[in-house]
Amino acid sequence: MNIFLHELRANGKSTFIWSISLIMVVVLFMSFYPSFAKDAEAFTKIMEGYPETVRNLLGVNLGSFFTILGFYCFPLTFITLCGAIQAMNLGTSIISKEVREKTADFLLTKPVTRTKVVTAKLLAAFTSLVLTNLVYLSAASIIAFQVKNENFSFKVFIMLSLTMFFVQLIFLAIGFMLSVMIPKLKSVLPVSLGTVFAFYFLGMFSDTTGEDAKRYLSPFKYYDTAYILKHAEYEAAFLFAGVVIIIIAVISSYVVYTKKDIHSV
Amino acid sequence: MNVIEINNLTKSYGKSRGITDVSFTVEEGEIFGFIGPNGAGKSTTIRTLLSLIYPTSGSAKIFGKDCVKFAPEIKKQIGYLPSEVFYYDNMKVIDLLKYSASFYKKDCSQRIKELAEIMNLDLTKKIDDLSLGNKKKVGIVQGLLHEPKLIILDEPTSGLDPLMQQKFFELLEQENKKGATILFSSHILSEVQRLCNRVAIIKEGKIVTVEKIKTLKENNYKKFKIETIGLVETNIFQLPGVTKLERNGSTISFLFKGNINTVLKKLSELTVANLWIEEPDLEEIFLHYYEKEA
Repeated sequence: MNIFLHELRANGKSTFIWSISLIMVVVLFMSFYPSFAKDAEAFTKIMEGYPETVRNLLGVNLGSFFTILGFYCFPLTFITLCGAIQAMNLGTSIISKEVREKTADFLLTKPVTRTKVVTAKLLAAFTSLVLTNLVYLSAASIIAFQVKNENFSFKVFIMLSLTMFFVQLIFLAIGFMLSVMIPKLKSVLPVSLGTVFAFYFLGMFSDTTGEDAKRYLSPFKYYDTAYILKHAEYEAAFLFAGVVIIIIAVISSYVVYTKKDIHSV
Repeated sequence: MNVIEINNLTKSYGKSRGITDVSFTVEEGEIFGFIGPNGAGKSTTIRTLLSLIYPTSGSAKIFGKDCVKFAPEIKKQIGYLPSEVFYYDNMKVIDLLKYSASFYKKDCSQRIKELAEIMNLDLTKKIDDLSLGNKKKVGIVQGLLHEPKLIILDEPTSGLDPLMQQKFFELLEQENKKGATILFSSHILSEVQRLCNRVAIIKEGKIVTVEKIKTLKENNYKKFKIETIGLVETNIFQLPGVTKLERNGSTISFLFKGNINTVLKKLSELTVANLWIEEPDLEEIFLHYYEKEA
């Protein structure tokens, strides 16, 4: 419990900043919605001029783009990207920061098992993400109700918003695994940004072809907003894929970390 | 009872570093020195004891329990001070110490206060703002606050000024009197000489010798220097066990190994102006071990 609280406190500042940033993005985008919805027709015409591939690339779906939920999907792409970076940073730094700040000696000579250390740290990171999402979700809901011009399904709104959380969990697990596997991780940002953007672009291009199989390549495409809008549910196969990735990453990290030599720096 | 028992411990890192077949025991209540130059394998041995790294072969027991299998249980009674201390920078000293104490299921706040007072440590400062020496003090308090039965120190004095070193040694001696066993690794011989009962000398990953400090010194030469009134024949000191016999004006000097009384008898026949009988310091003995091997 003490490690958990310590980690939670250590994550506190960054969790706060990330939450605020995400809120600012969603508030900024959603405040455009009323004026945007007014000019819907003219805008549709412009967008129809673009090839479908480009529209897909931008995440614009003309069928639903002018409903508030459809519009919300647009900023959500970026917000999810930001969220993924936050999660990846958290995951990558869990173990590597102890080595970088040379505090591993301190922590691991205390009467705790490494499994306990890792569990506490993972839970703390998980909690930080939950808090971020709670804060984000409340802010996003408030602004959505402020700018709406017609009633919308709040359930679908929540479902859409939660996709960020799911993507975050996947990247948390991946980042965690990387930080355990890479012997000496000098700095977190290049690794985490690199990985997240690689997957993001992979997702963007797999999207243009519309093939389902390619979507498995990028966690960003596991939760298709168009599908959720239409069916008000997630795609089971992709939910499952996400869970599998998380379980494999976490278990392998535990196994490697408990056997790893902690070298003095 | 043996507090530490190391049996043929080997840790290889592929090429040259690491330790081979290290075996020694540390008895309860001892202050045991562990000396060797940088890179000889002191830290590797200690880190294996603390199961920060795992042995390639061989084993080590602490309090009679395997140090890997029972690591968390053993560590309740271990205080460890690494050679380089780094702690969570954005924490205050007192918060770090409380965090450290929270791992041991007892109230350590009184002890923290006492130790901080002895070491002259400001608890309200941020760790970030501390000098190296002050960080070291945090490390010392952190390692001792739970009153461990075994204290493991890995080159602990670097960064401490002589006055603080003195206080630190006194503190260790007090802990030792209260029953704590101490494993003290160092490359500075004088501090080992000052504190320890026994030492293990390690060289290139192998134990060269384990000896009592006393025996180490007894087995060795005494340095004699005699200043006489009036000229004396040098060869009066041609005794068995005398080497390097030299004369410089009215002073005669030589090294002697054996029963010291034979020299004293000879001396009583002379009129002596001044006399020095010196122990060779550990430094010379240490070098002796290293040269012999090389």
